[in-house]
Amino acid sequence: MWSDSLLIVFISICTAFLGEGLTWILVYRTEKYQKLKVEVERQSKKLEKRKEAHGDSLDKQHKKKIEREEERLKNNNRDLSLVKMKSMFAIGFAFTALLSMFNSIFDGRVVAKLPFYPISWIQGLSHRNLTGDDYTDCSFIFLYILCTMSIRQNIQKLLGFAPSRAASKQGGALFAAPPAQFK
Amino acid sequence: MSTKSKLVDNKGKDCETVWRKAFKTNAEWPDKEEFLDVIYWMRQAIGIILGLFWGLLPLKGFLGLLLFVVVNAAVIYFYVNNFQTIDEEEYGGMWEITKEGFMTSFAGFLVTWIIVFTGLHGSNNNSL
Repeated sequence: MWSDSLLIVFISICTAFLGEGLTWILVYRTEKYQKLKVEVERQSKKLEKRKEAHGDSLDKQHKKKIEREEERLKNNNRDLSLVKMKSMFAIGFAFTALLSMFNSIFDGRVVAKLPFYPISWIQGLSHRNLTGDDYTDCSFIFLYILCTMSIRQNIQKLLGFAPSRAASKQGGALFAAPPAQFK
Repeated sequence: MSTKSKLVDNKGKDCETVWRKAFKTNAEWPDKEEFLDVIYWMRQAIGIILGLFWGLLPLKGFLGLLLFVVVNAAVIYFYVNNFQTIDEEEYGGMWEITKEGFMTSFAGFLVTWIIVFTGLHGSNNNSL
């Protein structure tokens, strides 16, 4: 059982690097993406500073300026998402196939023992395709999702591919981007 | 020295200064992102260390989860307010700082806790 759980951690480290590597080849290294990213980050920081400085002022001129900048940022964010989208779809398909392969390998196998009883709406995931009613038995998919959540995000941050806080804050408000771990 | 190696050198020095500042009381943080990064990585380390301890003890059940949340939040609160004495309003309030990297840290904690627990106590019939 322990070797299975360690193998799953190893698999998620590999898939995280593979995912980031593929995204780098298809997206991050392209000039268009780099230009847009720099632009979005610059605009987000500028907008944040302007909002902080004139947040409560009722000055129409400032409000108009902020609105204009928000509009520009919105457009850039949309372009950035479009650049990402195509390759994200390709990577998404590849990973779905990979996931179903691993799923069939670990099908019906208890890969770990949970030190807690999962709440009812998580049991469907943590006990997926497992027999018996010991809900502390953990299925492949639950451990894999947890590993991906922690490892992928940290690798993204370590490699500097995670979006800056200012950009995701502004982007989140203007153009809802999907969470990094599900890309 | 080429531009690339200069860049790498600068990055290394930056990293070193951030490390030094992170362990110095009342350090100055002109770059907010830098401070939030320190909080983020600190959280990840806390998650893994607590996961390791909880697995070794072993701590089980809801108590383990609750204790993680409490210890994690308390350490960060102490670090921000007493060690660095940061004005939390500059960062959008204590809630924003408390949220920083929490989910990733929680996932890291769960993975470490589950794996250590499985390795050491997985074969025992345990009653939670």
